[in-house]
Amino acid sequence: MDTTVHGVEILLVEDNEHDAELTMRALKRNNLANGLLHLRDGAEALDFIFGEGSFAGHAVEQRLRVIVLDINMPRVSGLEVLKRLKADERTCHIPVVVLTSTKDDPIMKHCYELGVNSYVVKPVAFDAFFKEISALGFFWMIVNQVDKAQ
Amino acid sequence: MTRRPKILIVDDKPENLVAIETVLRDLDVELIRAYSGNEALRATLHHDFALALLDIQMPEMDGYELAGILREEERTARLPFIFISAVYTDNLNIFKGYERGAFSFITKPFQPEILINKVKFFISIYEQEAALSDLNEELKQKNEDLEAFTYSVSHDLRAPLRAVHSYAMILMEDHEKELSTECMRLTGNITRNAERMASLIESLLEFSRLGKQSIKARAVDVNLLIQEALEVIQATVKKLPEFRIQQDMPCANGDRELLKQVFVNLLSNAIKYSGKKDMPVVEAGAKREGSEVIYHIRDNGSGFDMQYMNKLFGVFSRLHRDTEYEGIGIGLAIVQRIVTRSGGRVWAEGAIDQGATFYVALPAADD
Repeated sequence: MDTTVHGVEILLVEDNEHDAELTMRALKRNNLANGLLHLRDGAEALDFIFGEGSFAGHAVEQRLRVIVLDINMPRVSGLEVLKRLKADERTCHIPVVVLTSTKDDPIMKHCYELGVNSYVVKPVAFDAFFKEISALGFFWMIVNQVDKAQ
Repeated sequence: MTRRPKILIVDDKPENLVAIETVLRDLDVELIRAYSGNEALRATLHHDFALALLDIQMPEMDGYELAGILREEERTARLPFIFISAVYTDNLNIFKGYERGAFSFITKPFQPEILINKVKFFISIYEQEAALSDLNEELKQKNEDLEAFTYSVSHDLRAPLRAVHSYAMILMEDHEKELSTECMRLTGNITRNAERMASLIESLLEFSRLGKQSIKARAVDVNLLIQEALEVIQATVKKLPEFRIQQDMPCANGDRELLKQVFVNLLSNAIKYSGKKDMPVVEAGAKREGSEVIYHIRDNGSGFDMQYMNKLFGVFSRLHRDTEYEGIGIGLAIVQRIVTRSGGRVWAEGAIDQGATFYVALPAADD
């Protein structure tokens, strides 16, 4: 795996390749995908963020503008990733958007308790999905200000 | 069922316990001895008894006192007793709490057959109750499984469906020039069907969520609820009928949000199925009957054939083709589910082209 990834601004963690493709397509349409890295499960995401495993040697990621995180993923779930990010003082400031198919109350509640910055349910219809991803991209990449001091 | 019913036998004299054991030896039951009231109470902590045979005259705690305590305890409140007494006493009033459970008397010396018969009677009731409660438990489990199944299936169907819909939309939006008119038409059919499937899945999820949601019942002003429901509907309907809404309808007891859904669904239906009339009219009214309020929503629309009444409230069951009236057949199923869970009933009357009336009976709110 490439351990020399630089300038990543959006980390998309999504195991479903079609959902990932559609998400990236919507972001690209809005020129928001230049600094996007797509990883396929929670284990890869944690390795990347903390410079472990196949990303050993990579500095701990602190400059991400946003992490877009699916919940149901093999190996390490989105909830576990969220928990670890928010519990670590080096990464707790990174905005995390959970993007999931589930409107399950207990899971949503759990995400907010863990400190998620936003919780978004993927619509089934393409137009709605496209609009939602565009809005999400604009907000986190342009409107929202990140803490540069980190 | 393989459980052997357990019987608690309480007597301070060992020879009396032996006598009871001898009489009952041929029954398929397990006898648990106790020599005092206290020992009997301890035994109830470890065993689930079908019946207790209590001697009345015992030192420290007599049979009545013991029975009284057992009636107070949640675990043993329904435990039936047979009091065994040397003297026939009719001072039942000594035994407090007798109204809560079954009991019987037998006097010493007793005929073995009489004791055996009484024990058999109580055991048969116990076994019937146990079988019923097993069946209930099984049903509850199956229902929960079904809910979980519905939920996860509909949930997991969403991701592939999003892919189907999205890729077909991308074809039409980004590759329009490369596609023939026929290809565009076919792709359009794919997206429309995917959209329909998406609404089916959403409805199924909503329906399944209703089963899990707890009901927060309180007095609900249905007059206000109908006004709010109409506001919701008016935002989405092009042609509005004439409304005839009764004033001062009695209040019902139920969950406000869920009941609002009931009236939104019923009024939307009434508007939809009367929409093709020249002068569509939708009425709402109510009257109090005993402990219930019976609400009705009536329209002068296309109505239905009474022989299909039972199909009206089924999930995804419809009496019209999509081309006649749009819809997926979940609205009335939701109405029925909410009303039933609120302790009420729904039914309908109608005739083809003569309109339909839907009735909702709900527990009345105390004035």
